Amino acid sequence: MTEQHDDAAVFDDATAMTGTRDVMIEIEHVDKFFGDFQALKDINLKVGAQEVVVVIGPSGSGKSTLIRCINRLEEHDGGRIVVDGTELSNDIRNIQEIRRETGMVFQSFNLFPHLTVLDNITLAPRKVRRMPKAKAEELGMELLEMVKIPEQAGKYPGQMSGGQQQRVAIARALAMNPKVMLFDEPTSALDPEMIGEVLDTMKELARSGMTMIVVTHEMGFAREVADRVVFMADGQIVEVGTPEHFFESPREDRTKLFLSQIL
Amino acid sequence: MSTTRTWLRHNLFRTRRDTVLTVVFGLLALWLLYKTFRFIFVTGRWSIIEVNLQLLMIGRYPEAHVLRLAVTVVVLALWGGLLAGFIRGRQVRSGRMTAADSKLSRARVTDLVERLWIPLALVVLLLMLTSTPGPWIMVGLAVAAALVGRLVGPFVGRLRLPPIGSLLVVFVFGAIPVVLYFYVVTAVGFDGWGGFMLNLFLAVCSIILCYPLGVLLALGRRSGLPLVRLVCTTYIEVIRGAPLFVLLLLANVALGFFVPDSLAPATSTRAIVVFTFFTAAYMAEIIRGGLQSVPRGQIEAAKAVGLSPIRQTGYIVLPQALRNVIPAQIGQLISLFKDTTLAGIAMGLFDLLQVSGAITSQEDFRGQGLIAETLTFAALMFWVVSYTMSRESQRLEKRLGVGIR
Ligand SMILES: Nc1ncnc2c1ncn2[C@@H]1O[C@H](COP(=O)(O)OP(=O)(O)OP(=O)(O)O)[C@@H](O)[C@H]1O
Ligand SMILES: [Mg+2]
Repeated sequence: MTEQHDDAAVFDDATAMTGTRDVMIEIEHVDKFFGDFQALKDINLKVGAQEVVVVIGPSGSGKSTLIRCINRLEEHDGGRIVVDGTELSNDIRNIQEIRRETGMVFQSFNLFPHLTVLDNITLAPRKVRRMPKAKAEELGMELLEMVKIPEQAGKYPGQMSGGQQQRVAIARALAMNPKVMLFDEPTSALDPEMIGEVLDTMKELARSGMTMIVVTHEMGFAREVADRVVFMADGQIVEVGTPEHFFESPREDRTKLFLSQIL
Repeated sequence: MSTTRTWLRHNLFRTRRDTVLTVVFGLLALWLLYKTFRFIFVTGRWSIIEVNLQLLMIGRYPEAHVLRLAVTVVVLALWGGLLAGFIRGRQVRSGRMTAADSKLSRARVTDLVERLWIPLALVVLLLMLTSTPGPWIMVGLAVAAALVGRLVGPFVGRLRLPPIGSLLVVFVFGAIPVVLYFYVVTAVGFDGWGGFMLNLFLAVCSIILCYPLGVLLALGRRSGLPLVRLVCTTYIEVIRGAPLFVLLLLANVALGFFVPDSLAPATSTRAIVVFTFFTAAYMAEIIRGGLQSVPRGQIEAAKAVGLSPIRQTGYIVLPQALRNVIPAQIGQLISLFKDTTLAGIAMGLFDLLQVSGAITSQEDFRGQGLIAETLTFAALMFWVVSYTMSRESQRLEKRLGVGIR
């Protein structure tokens, strides 16, 4: 499925993508309730292959909930979510398939503390993809080279710095060779001096053509890497645009207010 | 010297009240110590233990077949050594342990002796009390077998076997204890077992059986299926509400209502069943606590990398949950071990405690009030094993906790 837009039209349509791309993720009319509280209200978003979308917005606006719906860590209540042609349903096989195609990086790393760094990375390829151990470890070492900490392979997560842990978490997610990477505030729990190393890894990943949805407060990263920026407030997408549009000439008052508060 | 002085003054003699308390309790402690030493070395008449050592250790196991027990001990030592060597070999190959850590060195021997000096001292004490060379030979062979196993073990793991081959090895390995059991039991039948051997055997079997059951019950109690949850919760709550002693009595008596005598299992088997089901309920609650202690983020990460629900539990949640509650689990298992004495009272099994009582009415010792001596001996046996379990569990906890938190 390919859609064409001229550049001017892109910003009017919150669901649109920049340029001509295959659609990787389609989110249509998605609602999400926690009890009576509606955390997502009629969300529409399409993310193209190799696109980097940065999601920003105030605390409690539903950013985490949105990306957690994509790999079914939260179940959406209305609308549909399609990832690489597979629609999320209650069928566990569908869910498993989508989880294999999407990697996720959490704010608090969530590395497995009882496994070594290498085992953290190789567990899923070995158990889910049935990769032989030697091959999985070779892959694991390659990924550790990529995130620049091969010498930490035998350590346990608790023996590493936050920045190193988060880079291992990225390697772990990449080990399943996903088509999409979801990042939920990957640098928010890090000391300032470690934020850079994680962002560098993410930038490299974006350059390699990975499709990424990144929830972050790092506006520098958004400006530099994002193809589009999505601004959310109160469970809704308020505004979508290229970084230039978004930071130079935001249209909505809500966006202006938010930007004035954080910039 | 002066630091000792300050410490003493600071902790024991700071005020007048402290001083009085220190003196009173110090004298009390000295008096107790004196009495204990006197009992052990002067007034205690330990010949009753010496004479009845075999009865205390293995009950009335027939003299003609005692060799079977010795063979069993030696084979088990070999088995354990092989297992330890195999595990160590795997750890070295996977890089979790350096080869140097695995070399036989003076430091490691010292470490081993320091770790196990209490049970080792007990074994030596028991050997000193024996009057025949048999036990000495058995222990010597067992130590040698364990060493051989430990040295050969790492090579077993290095064999490049086809899948059927390794399956066969695992099967044979797992079958060895079972075969040994039959080898020992065919000599007398299960109800002919007695002494400390019976306590150990009841405990080991119950521990092995109750553990998986406890894990399943704990998982079941958190299951998403209401029926499973109901069954597990009911089971746990019912069992935990009943006194162990009553359950043992019931198993001894009431089984006759359901099963004809000819089909009823041996009393010892019934005891194992009761211990297993009883302890499993407690283990389930302990393990459930462990499951709750695993942060939600762990399960989310396991889901996110695509692990199936069973693998999330098996690879991520359970290992962390079980590790988090090692002290409580070992406490429960130690308690199970000591409770095996209840089986003697409730079901008339001839376990260490019953032997300890019975021998005081032997002709040579009757009316001499030697129950204190025999009970002290029984308590010592239980204490050494329990204490060793406790210490080893602390070590295990430390080792599994490498680099965590
Ligand atoms: N499991 C839950 N149960 C109930 N309410 C929830 C749950 N998870 C999130 N919420 C609510 O949904 C809303 C959106 O939460 P979400 O975590 O998506 O916000 P966020 O934009 O990621 O905020 P932050 O920047 O603080 O991470 C919040 O009001 C939150 O209180
Ligand atoms: Mg969030």
